[in-house]
Amino acid sequence: MEKVRVCFYPENRCIEVDKGENLLRAAMQADVHINASCGGEGYCGKCRVIIEKGEVTQKLAVKLSQEEVKRGYVLACSSTIESDVDVRVPIETQLGDKSALTRRPPIPLQGYTLTAKDWAERLPQWELNPPTTKFHLVLDKPTLEDNLSDAERIKRELSRLAGLKDVVIDYPMLQALPGLIRAASFDVTVTVLDRGQELRAVRIEKGDTSPRQAALAVDLGTTTVSVQLIDLQTGAVTAEASDYNGQISYGEDIITRIIYTTRSTGLAKLQSAAVGTIWNLIQQVVEQTSTEFCSITHLVVSGNTTMVHLLLGLDPRYIRVDPYIPVAQFFPWIKASNIGIRIASGVYLRCTPCVASYVGGDIVAGVLASGMFNSEKITLYIDIGTNGEIALGNKDWLMTCSCSAGPAFEGAGVKHGMRATRGAIEQVRINEVTHEPMIITVGNRRPVGICGSGLIDTLAELFLTGIMDERGKINTDLGTARVRKGDVGGEYVLAWADESGTNRDIVITDVDIDNLMRAKAAIYAGINILLEEVGMDITMVEEILIAGAFGRYLEIDKAIIIGLLPDVGTEKIKFVGNGSLLGSYLMALSKNLIEEADRIANMMTYLELSTSPKFMDQYVSALFFPHTEIQMFPTVMERLAEARERAKLGAAGGETA
Amino acid sequence: MAFEVPKETTDSRIREVVLGTGDVKVGGENVLPFYLWEGEMPKRPLIAVEIYDDSPSDWAEAVAGPLSEVLSDPVAWAKKAQAEWGADLILLRLKSTDPKGDDKPGVEAAKTAAAVAEAVTIPVIVYGSEDVEKDGEVLKAVATACEGKNVVMGPAKEDNYKTIGAAALGYNQTVAAKSPIDVNLAKQLNILLSNLGVDVGKIIVDPTTGALGYGLEYTYSIMERFKIAALRQDDSMTQMPLLADVGTEAWKAKEAKAPAADEPQWGDEMKRGVLWEILTATSLLIAGADVIIMRHPEAIKTVRKVIDSLKG
Repeated sequence: MEKVRVCFYPENRCIEVDKGENLLRAAMQADVHINASCGGEGYCGKCRVIIEKGEVTQKLAVKLSQEEVKRGYVLACSSTIESDVDVRVPIETQLGDKSALTRRPPIPLQGYTLTAKDWAERLPQWELNPPTTKFHLVLDKPTLEDNLSDAERIKRELSRLAGLKDVVIDYPMLQALPGLIRAASFDVTVTVLDRGQELRAVRIEKGDTSPRQAALAVDLGTTTVSVQLIDLQTGAVTAEASDYNGQISYGEDIITRIIYTTRSTGLAKLQSAAVGTIWNLIQQVVEQTSTEFCSITHLVVSGNTTMVHLLLGLDPRYIRVDPYIPVAQFFPWIKASNIGIRIASGVYLRCTPCVASYVGGDIVAGVLASGMFNSEKITLYIDIGTNGEIALGNKDWLMTCSCSAGPAFEGAGVKHGMRATRGAIEQVRINEVTHEPMIITVGNRRPVGICGSGLIDTLAELFLTGIMDERGKINTDLGTARVRKGDVGGEYVLAWADESGTNRDIVITDVDIDNLMRAKAAIYAGINILLEEVGMDITMVEEILIAGAFGRYLEIDKAIIIGLLPDVGTEKIKFVGNGSLLGSYLMALSKNLIEEADRIANMMTYLELSTSPKFMDQYVSALFFPHTEIQMFPTVMERLAEARERAKLGAAGGETA
Repeated sequence: MAFEVPKETTDSRIREVVLGTGDVKVGGENVLPFYLWEGEMPKRPLIAVEIYDDSPSDWAEAVAGPLSEVLSDPVAWAKKAQAEWGADLILLRLKSTDPKGDDKPGVEAAKTAAAVAEAVTIPVIVYGSEDVEKDGEVLKAVATACEGKNVVMGPAKEDNYKTIGAAALGYNQTVAAKSPIDVNLAKQLNILLSNLGVDVGKIIVDPTTGALGYGLEYTYSIMERFKIAALRQDDSMTQMPLLADVGTEAWKAKEAKAPAADEPQWGDEMKRGVLWEILTATSLLIAGADVIIMRHPEAIKTVRKVIDSLKG
């Protein structure tokens, strides 16, 4: 990708971005404040800047007068950078921000995301060799001399063609066999599933369908479910969709759902809700790509222990009570239709094995995808979901624990929280002096809510600008309409009703902040206890991998500012994305990794936090921004001091201006 | 070879906090309580005699009796405490401002506070009624009325620390910061106060007291952990002197105040409460209290002797 240089004045700050980058996003990346309220849709018209040199293309400029266009004004949000450009941010757009105040150059903005290159290095076991394979067979027609049964004829051909021995033929396939092979003139395609201990022919189709083979990877989260459609020929993800888990209406957390299963038809209802959610997503990805249902041959599902139990219809009630026993840790390949996922005949489903009642296949899949089980380095893997799950170790040992974080970072339990879909506020900056926000949304639409990365940004900015104190309480005496007393304490308005996509003010409230603080505290406390248990401290960890459904713009330094992640330098921290989904994807493509997942699940040692007397102490200590042990967050303290200094200077500058 | 007591020394110290305008200071130790072979405790723990601005009506006869002459006159009470019982400090509780009781305005109560501060030569601590809303107003008035006296005012809690902290800051008073029996919460309040601009050397921590039989062991372990963090981990946000609110808590215990007629097997009611107060106070001295709030003259005298003998 061609790089271009963008300079912002009067800040005099230059950064390199990809050609074609959105100008508002470039400003965000350079940490140059431009007022922007509509998420980048071009509706509010506040982000006007002047192009002094260079070229941008502007989508539409309805909010600018002829005169302004002539003078070089554009709306940053609807401008695409085409060459090196010099951009002047006019005073009214800065809203009185004194240019003399320099902000610290932004630290790693999008965090460090692992790329395909890393996978090659981290996962040498990976190869494109999926557990199901389609074989195109042209069978010899039976004669009086060659009078093998239809089934044996197929097995003979599989052996001849692919060297497969002892293939078992699924019963439903046997039933279809005589009619189908004759109607197809003995030209058929047979799908064979390698179940590890056995090869099983699971489906037969007329003619040659082998070029069309797809699989599904599913992340079955307590709050969010994601599905990927994978082309098994190329290994590419051809479509992806996600939605909230339909079980939420039966309870937000797993405990409530387990209790629900103890009602007469509770388990069946929860199973059908999960199946319904997955089925809807399958339909979406299939429609997006015009794939035929019958080209799908298998699914790999990763979820926490309870979610997998509910999906498979296994009674989860003993997970909840001491001594917390699940029905199973390892799950066999089963027919998807057995649990109500009726994609096509002979589609099999495999659930990633679990470690314990509260550390499930999602974390096993994540540890697999992260490659930490291959690494010499001491690695900390943190999956920030409804249950914060943490794994620590390397190729020789793995420890894991789970802390009940709640779904706040997934947008649930937050007034205007949402998943990272269109219109979700994903990046936020707030001006220290005017307290005006700069927001960008997914898809540059008018904001409708706030997703995980936007929530982390919002908290960090509210904290740095002093709008929110260390306890997460919004100061409502700041003399700006952006903060006010709401129904449940203080709130900050990120977008006014007339700029939002919902015609309602989009706010973050004291209660939202409290929920987010509890989530981050549970995770941070879990990290500390796990480290303490193995006699290590955070400085001994060589790599920290973060997983979670935050959207693309998770900013590592912001997560450190709020004390979600330890303050150990951003260079150690890398972002995995949705680890559970990624692991499922890798396993759907590579049967080697399915075996590895079993090995990993066996290798992980589970630490039960509920029996750790130190957990509560660590948790209360973390219920503070960034943390009660402020000395553990040196860079945050520095940034805070700088921000306070700037706010002071800015306020003084504002008075004299 | 003769046995040598192993020593654990440290460079950390509890901050010395100046009380009042004279030379009364509290804190400054670089050892766990009374570990005098390892370091020094330059200031002895101080006894603050507790007085009320409204004549308390529900006190047990065992304690109300000896105080009957002064119960309705806080100035006289304070003077007597200094002159006769050897009070190091006075703690004035502005109970009259309690919204659940007389609900007197802060300005009026502040006059009493100023009068008491004027009447004695020892430093004064002024506590509100511990109503989070009302205390803000009351202590603002106290800060103004007692300007120049450097009183300790409080208790500042999580929900009113801003008002109380700002008032103390504006009129150069000292703050007592109170949190519900938790090391982390106590530290958090100290951080909040210091971020507000309150000098960390002008904060005393009230970690909430449980009397003997009513959570004493919690307070004990919180105080102990606080001191260990301050001295062994050099944690600057725990290096404040600690205050134990013994009088009120000890005399709340039913074992302290039940009449002998109701509980004959518990023994002499005139001694029982005094002993309850002494035991609670002594335990918390050993846990690390730098200021002990006390009520009964006999208990005060005994605890003073305990301090003398521990201090050597």
